[in-house]
Amino acid sequence: MKIAEINRQDEMIYPGHNACPGCGAALAVRYLTKALGKNIVLVLTASCWSIISGMPPLTALKCPILHCPFPSAGSVGSGVRRGLNARGHHDTTVVVLAGDGGTFDIGLQALSGAAQRNEDYIFVCYDNEAYMNTGMQTSSATPFGARTNTAPYPLYKEGEKKDIMQIMAAHTVPYAATATVAFPADLEEKLKTAQKVKGFRFIHILAPCPPGWGTESSDTIEVSRLAVATGFFPLYEVRNGTNWKLTVPADIKSASLSQYLGLQRRFKEMDDRRLNELQHEINRDYQRLLDQVAKVTAETQQ
Amino acid sequence: MLQAPFKETAAYACGTTAISVNKTGEWRFLTPERQFRQSPCRQGCLLQGEVPSWLDAVKRGRWEEAWQIMSHNNPFPALTGYVCFNPCQENCNRDQLDQGIAIREVEKAIGEWRLKNYEPSKAIMKKKRRIAVIGSGPAGLSCAYYLTQAGYMVTVYERSAQLGGMLALGIPEYRLPHRILKRELEILSSEGVVFKTNTSLGSDLVLNDLYQEYDQVFLATGAWIPRMSGLPGEDSDHVYNALDFLSNYNTGVLQKLGSSVVVVGGGNAAIDSARTALRVNGVHHVTLLYRRSRLEMPADQSEVEAAEREGVELIFNVLPRSIETKGGRVKGVTVDHSRTDRYGLLVDSSTSFCRECDSVIMALGQLADYSLFGTLASKQTLFAGGDLISGPATVPEAIRAGRLAAMAIRSVYEDFEVCEQEILAGEVVSFEALNLAAKVNLELQQKEAEPQREAERCLGCGTCNSCGICYLFCPDVAVDQVDGKFEVNLDYCKGCGICVKECPAQAMVMKGGGR
Amino acid sequence: MAFQMISGSQAAATAVQRVGVDLVAAYPITPQTAIVEALADFSAKGELGGEFVSVESEYAALACCNGAAATGARVFTATASHGLAYMHEMIHWCSGARFPIVMVNVNRTIGAPWCLDPDQGDSLSQRDTGWLQLYCANAQEVFDMVIQAFIIAEELLLPCMVVFDGFYISHTYEAVDVADADQVRKLVGPPAFAPQVIPGQPGNLHGLSTGETHLKLVKDRHQTMLRLPVLFNKINKAFAKQFGRSYNILETQIPSGAKRAIVAAGATAETVRWALPVLADTGLIQLRVFRPFPAAEIRQVIEENELTELLVVDRNCSVGMGGIFAQELRSALYELPKPPQVRSLILAGGVDLTEQMLVDLLQTTGNEENFALRWGDEF
Repeated sequence: MKIAEINRQDEMIYPGHNACPGCGAALAVRYLTKALGKNIVLVLTASCWSIISGMPPLTALKCPILHCPFPSAGSVGSGVRRGLNARGHHDTTVVVLAGDGGTFDIGLQALSGAAQRNEDYIFVCYDNEAYMNTGMQTSSATPFGARTNTAPYPLYKEGEKKDIMQIMAAHTVPYAATATVAFPADLEEKLKTAQKVKGFRFIHILAPCPPGWGTESSDTIEVSRLAVATGFFPLYEVRNGTNWKLTVPADIKSASLSQYLGLQRRFKEMDDRRLNELQHEINRDYQRLLDQVAKVTAETQQ
Repeated sequence: MLQAPFKETAAYACGTTAISVNKTGEWRFLTPERQFRQSPCRQGCLLQGEVPSWLDAVKRGRWEEAWQIMSHNNPFPALTGYVCFNPCQENCNRDQLDQGIAIREVEKAIGEWRLKNYEPSKAIMKKKRRIAVIGSGPAGLSCAYYLTQAGYMVTVYERSAQLGGMLALGIPEYRLPHRILKRELEILSSEGVVFKTNTSLGSDLVLNDLYQEYDQVFLATGAWIPRMSGLPGEDSDHVYNALDFLSNYNTGVLQKLGSSVVVVGGGNAAIDSARTALRVNGVHHVTLLYRRSRLEMPADQSEVEAAEREGVELIFNVLPRSIETKGGRVKGVTVDHSRTDRYGLLVDSSTSFCRECDSVIMALGQLADYSLFGTLASKQTLFAGGDLISGPATVPEAIRAGRLAAMAIRSVYEDFEVCEQEILAGEVVSFEALNLAAKVNLELQQKEAEPQREAERCLGCGTCNSCGICYLFCPDVAVDQVDGKFEVNLDYCKGCGICVKECPAQAMVMKGGGR
Repeated sequence: MAFQMISGSQAAATAVQRVGVDLVAAYPITPQTAIVEALADFSAKGELGGEFVSVESEYAALACCNGAAATGARVFTATASHGLAYMHEMIHWCSGARFPIVMVNVNRTIGAPWCLDPDQGDSLSQRDTGWLQLYCANAQEVFDMVIQAFIIAEELLLPCMVVFDGFYISHTYEAVDVADADQVRKLVGPPAFAPQVIPGQPGNLHGLSTGETHLKLVKDRHQTMLRLPVLFNKINKAFAKQFGRSYNILETQIPSGAKRAIVAAGATAETVRWALPVLADTGLIQLRVFRPFPAAEIRQVIEENELTELLVVDRNCSVGMGGIFAQELRSALYELPKPPQVRSLILAGGVDLTEQMLVDLLQTTGNEENFALRWGDEF
């Protein structure tokens, strides 16, 4: 089942859900559930998806959704996995879904614990780079220079976006990957790869948020594409914390950082100094990634 | 799933009803719509053919559907697939990516499919109106086709023994195999068109008399009178005009050209003549003389290139001054150098030379015979079209004229507006306007046959070609595929506009107004 | 069936092993560690039956139990003091989600400053979370209540906390009649509650609700919890048949003619029981169940015995209001036409209750200033 394939029956998400128009998070979950198939259980922590999934007696997904408190996602996932095992559901894929807050900030301890225990489930972080459900407050996933409602003009987010992938790699989890909504084929590939791996798997999905980022709702895909092209959000995977592979290279010639930021009102007040600082950060991190990939390539050739 | 006592309240804690009871389309204040825009191929097409649409049908292996779309504008894709100079292809946006689509090859494949898979139309309500079509060239045949499909009874008159007009007589076999025309004519006969050959208007038929038997008459007799050069020696033996030469060749009349032939002219008939002359027994060398430069040559460039490849010598910027003869036999053609400047053709007679040859083919164009109109009684309606009206033009243009004539005739009896095939509003979709980035997510299906593979390469340019990007990128699963076509489900569409923005073919727009 | 000299902690862990659970998730904290270690020991020997997971916090422990319980698994965890406080959000959640989780809390004072003594404030500050709370007075009760907690929780679909005092019970060795697994499982049976998460079945579990629907759910939980007294008696009939001993929601020991009683929960009740012979005309009311609060049962005891004075031992204090058991008791007595006087002894910080304290207290008469409220440091 390819997610680009047109088949209503295989869509796991019902139309009529509560996401805002152009929601990247809705797309991300649409893709991931379709890629993973029907035999999944979704553990859902506090995030926009707590709302998108609907108010019982309604539901937006064709699979069990277990809501849980904000910091608990990583641990509830462990329990669900082990509980299902105890009841003989070894084939069921457990997916823990959290936003950037539930992953980078309040959920980090549980995430780290589960990753370290190598719990057998897929942790998916859909990252819209701030607390969007509560109305755009700074999280540690908010990029440097962005304006938020807890860093209103003339303030801006100080400090860099936390590099969650390096943190997960440092846990030497069997599989970790980044993905974004403009590249559903790549996203699908990674989720299907993840589904076959045993142990802890981490997928970091950049999910643009039109109201929070101040983009046009129609620009969700475009802005996601530019995030990749500019090297701001590289698409790659890492196995066992050491085996790095770039899946969609940046295309710096075709896209500039100011073009990417220009689509987003949260960067409206970005001056050149800050732009350069952010560019420097991106270049440094992208180069580090390239080095990590090159090291792997060199080792395999030996 | 939940036990008592929790059962009664379980529904509040565990939702199992699909959220689709929420009609989130109510949130919408802008609405995406599919809107076809003009593609460069379609703009280039002399028939305004819906090129991207039938390419799409072929891509999906739906040949019947492709033929149906094709036949809106062109009932003879096999013919045009061979003889059209495909201006569509020259405009193709894909050229800027890698290489343009070989549109004519796909068109030809649709035509061949039609010829092979033709089945007589299901009973069409006959209208008891009888129509006479004079001339069995592409205009006449096209008119006959469309009228027959609309239930009219059509009789086609042809003055020669051969049906097809220019298709039969003017176009050499190497460009249009005889079997194609033969099969098209068979199909028309099966559809109920009556053909009468060896019947010439004026001598065998009197125009006014036709109205006794027919309700309307469509005159499509073409342009067959060769334009004369007035050069000295033009009336000698072994000086031919191109049409006579081609039709004789096509009907198997033996023509002795000698070993060396000069063709004068720069149109398609000149190229056809030169390439045909090469195929005549005994001819070793063919030279084509044209008064202007290569760039100014009206003939189709691919045909010119084919002629060159076959060994035709092209001499540009030369204007014949006289045809040299000796004892009534052609010896050569004397030419002056000539070139175009802003006032017209400048001729320099100081550097003239003589090109020796055994025969000359004059391809200076044809004129229509308007004398027939004079025989028409006053107040009588007459429909006319094709080369007869436009002057020498191309096969697709004649087919279009026949189609328009059929519509005009129908409008006499039916509540029917004569219109060109819908010409799409707005600018032609440029290569830059396309959104090809989204396509990385689509997996190319491996198609078995070449035409399908080729059709798959079509970028769509303003036409929905069912690529599915709108479906893929819809956060609300609000794009449905109904009978192969994509439609926005307005019950759930929140109007985000991603489908419009991401449509690779740019075949969607946002319209104001919500639910 | 055999008596073993074991600690309260071992009694708890052994009971869990005897019942048989699918998952134990736990995080160590004094004085609960002995339970975790004992369960880990069972796991190491392959005797636990289910999985033992060492998680990274108490919060994670209960969250992990929460996830497993959602799938229909029988789970257990144990904690104390700060650990329980750290779980607070999950404690609420488990109850709202109707997960029949059994948890042991070993009472310990919550800082600051750090303190290891058995203040009951940790479990009592979880009073309003929708958990059942059972207080044990000795190791035998620990063993028996842990077993019964599983039956209660799974029957009512509410989580159940078994509480006992740190060190006095958790680390004290007593002779405990330890039933073997077969007998226990005969009574408890395999997990019989329906799973909420079932692969292949869509279900939006515990998603957003309105206040109105939340109210309905709270009402349901409240009414369900009030079914405990009937259930408890039923369970103990079966328990008595199986093991020859049984329990009541209120354990009363009132000599005939006595018009006053001491009310206590946990280890203090055991101290009072031992002191009764030296306390003239005084009875004991042991609060075994704190949630649901046995108000009607207490009123009945008072009316039947025409009690005029209650002395409540509170090893806790709600700062600004006083002893928590005393408060709860006062509100339960409000409906009586002639309620007894309620006196409060506060031993917050986990201060030990001595026989001498009780003797002193009972000598104080109603005219004295410090009749109604006494603090443990005044003796």
